Amino acid sequence: MAVSRTDVREMSRRLWRRGTLRVRRAVARRTGFIAYLAVIGPGMIAANAGNDAGGIATYSTSGAEFGYTLLWTFLPILVSLGLVQEMCARMGVVTGKGLADLIRERFGVRWTMVVMSALLVANAGVTVSEFVGIAAATELFGVPRQVSVPLAALSVWWLVVKGSYRRVERVFLLMSLVFLGYIVSAFLARPDWGEVARQMARPTFRYDNHYLFTLIALIGTTISPYMQVFVQSSVVEKGVGREDYKLVRADVWVGTLFAMSIAFFILISTAATLGTGGFAGSIETAADAARALVPLAGEYAGLLFAVGLFGASMLAAGVLPLATAYSISEALGFEKGVSRSFREAPIFIGIFTFLIAVGALIAIIPGLPLIRVLVVTQFINGLLLPVMLVAILRLAGDRKLMGEYANGAVYNVLAWLTVFIVSALSLVLAAKTLFG
Amino acid sequence: MLYLSQILRRPVRDVEGRPVASIKDVIVRLGEDHPPVTGLVARHMRRDIFLPRTRVAKFGEAGAQLNFDLLDLRDFKRREGEILLARDVLDKQLIDVDGKRVVRVNDVQLIEVAGEWRVTGADVSLQGLWRRLAPAGFMGSRRPVEVIDWADVGYLATDAAEVRLKSSRDKLSRLHPVEIARLAESLSYRQGAEVVAALDDETAAETLEEMPDESQARIIGDMDKERAADILEWMSPDEAADVLGDLPEATAEDLLNRMEGEEKTDVAELLHYEDDTAGGLMTNEFITLPKGLTVGEALARLREMAETPNMIYYLYVVEQEGSWKLVGVIALRSLILADPSAPLEHVMRDEFQHAHPDDSAKDVAHKIAEYNLLALPVVDDLGEIAGIVTVDDAMELLLPKGWRQRLPRIF
Repeated sequence: MAVSRTDVREMSRRLWRRGTLRVRRAVARRTGFIAYLAVIGPGMIAANAGNDAGGIATYSTSGAEFGYTLLWTFLPILVSLGLVQEMCARMGVVTGKGLADLIRERFGVRWTMVVMSALLVANAGVTVSEFVGIAAATELFGVPRQVSVPLAALSVWWLVVKGSYRRVERVFLLMSLVFLGYIVSAFLARPDWGEVARQMARPTFRYDNHYLFTLIALIGTTISPYMQVFVQSSVVEKGVGREDYKLVRADVWVGTLFAMSIAFFILISTAATLGTGGFAGSIETAADAARALVPLAGEYAGLLFAVGLFGASMLAAGVLPLATAYSISEALGFEKGVSRSFREAPIFIGIFTFLIAVGALIAIIPGLPLIRVLVVTQFINGLLLPVMLVAILRLAGDRKLMGEYANGAVYNVLAWLTVFIVSALSLVLAAKTLFG
Repeated sequence: MLYLSQILRRPVRDVEGRPVASIKDVIVRLGEDHPPVTGLVARHMRRDIFLPRTRVAKFGEAGAQLNFDLLDLRDFKRREGEILLARDVLDKQLIDVDGKRVVRVNDVQLIEVAGEWRVTGADVSLQGLWRRLAPAGFMGSRRPVEVIDWADVGYLATDAAEVRLKSSRDKLSRLHPVEIARLAESLSYRQGAEVVAALDDETAAETLEEMPDESQARIIGDMDKERAADILEWMSPDEAADVLGDLPEATAEDLLNRMEGEEKTDVAELLHYEDDTAGGLMTNEFITLPKGLTVGEALARLREMAETPNMIYYLYVVEQEGSWKLVGVIALRSLILADPSAPLEHVMRDEFQHAHPDDSAKDVAHKIAEYNLLALPVVDDLGEIAGIVTVDDAMELLLPKGWRQRLPRIF
């Protein structure tokens, strides 16, 4: 029944006094799968960026050389990775600032410079390895690297510089889908699932150097400083608020689970075929692994591996320079953001462009001592990781910064334990890299 | 003139010139345009001790010199209204009201004026950063130093002091609400809320209106309830209704209860309507004029109004005094140009575009765009005007998401 406006106003007054006027819900309840889909992104992408060319190589060699015996490390690594990523994402949501920003505010300029320079050098090295990964993957399909690398570099650059944050995020997420190919290739390799299950549950500790080195390298490639910077800075750029914190946490853990599952399947692919004694050659790179799979598991296993390598390297080639650009811009106080144009954020875009260009150029150079480059970056990352972890832990547990979202007591204990173990192993890796 | 980075870690010498401690921090008292230094924090044998200004004879790049014999080993304790430059100001962000931006403090500039050392500015340039990192004595490049006058600091983003001291209502008010909103958004959530809280109620309301919905709801929700209600009263009713709709139900009811007067009724009335409709989009602040008036009388009435709503460019002509039945619309332009003795009935347009409260918001927006209107009246089944949808709210719907937050409120 139509009511006159005066009556409506009078009615509102009366209803209000009687307490029966309900406030309309202007915003749909932010829960459920749809809401999760809106928030998914930073955690998933950051975790998957860990499965880059170097990561795939590490998982492949672990499988090829040690069979299933390193599988038991996956669960602890998963938990550690999830914990660290969650802390960074939480800091991004609660403070609205990036990691380098917080480090500068809390720990001062000197530490910030140390972290930033290390990130710059290490990430530059890893970016080169991504482009080499792209080159190797496309060469398996017969495309020479002089063609594929510049094209790849240009596409990634174009995507990030000309795209908005949303669009870039969406593309990165789509690229993550290539990893599913590894699941298929793992099944094609016909592993002994019983053995797999047994090895996952039983920690085998072999005291030979090579085994230990590979174990530590596994940790180093999965938990990397650039992933921590990236997840926090993208959560900030995305503008996620505290009300969506639970969804962000889900994004981080789902991303971690997904990434570790993929690593799991990669290892199984090579373990089932190359690790059971049926392989005499050596695997140095992921491309070697792809090639080696073909005679043993069929054309498709090798193909999927190569496609996965290509996708993974492209994703990481985008994420790594971005993480570096974010951290440097934040630390020095420059404008930043994927959604910004060159005019608005020249330093940010400039750093990103520089890293892509240098990475691509160096990757094209024939006869490059890539292993040497990777070893150096592994060393730097190995030293940097403990610093970052301690910083993250202190920031995430700081009540003045995080309020009620600071680490709880139990979480803190778990986190400190994780940090201690991972840092110790990381330093051992760095020492080994240096002294051999 | 001195920079903070040049004196930190320098030795503190006694009367004889022997180093007895090292300068750890500088204490200043906030509240003035150029805060004075009230003392030093020095590190002596693993303890932080306090050196009041009166005990320091000289103070410079070479360090500090005491003017008394005995080293007073009083432990350092923070006092009300004071902050530490190295701990609380260096590397923190601040709002530069003159440059209208948020910058990070790379170094702090101190100048001796009339025997007293004062903080005169914050160095935000890269040069300041290099000075911090470089070892002592490094001359650095000849790049220009960029120092912000401390008098232009509208807000210092530090945990250390009360909001009252580290922000200045007067200085922040020099900025346009759109600018304040932009700056508050680029600070962390808590700091942005502090900036808004530092403003007076009216400016705070205007600033909030320029911020994204989630921020508005969060800031209002976390604020003291009485203050929040006061600010909501200053906001235009459609914005206030949107904020209340974004808050948890209990909070929204509490706030609405604390509001008073016409503003409360206005907001409560709008809460009736669903979000994605003309009713959810409209505001109920508009001017009505009975059709019996002449142009001259109408203009006189406008001038007499104690408060005029933002949307004054269209006036809505109703059947008679006290009625809401809409019979015509008249543009301010027409009103001003018309003969003062003409009756409104002859000047107004009796054929005009309008919407129903249940019409979809998108359709309303399209209509406004299509007919180049500044506002569209929303008329219910009885022919009574319930509200108007202004063009800025309509534009927000039509533009892509990335642009929406950059639109200021026009009406």
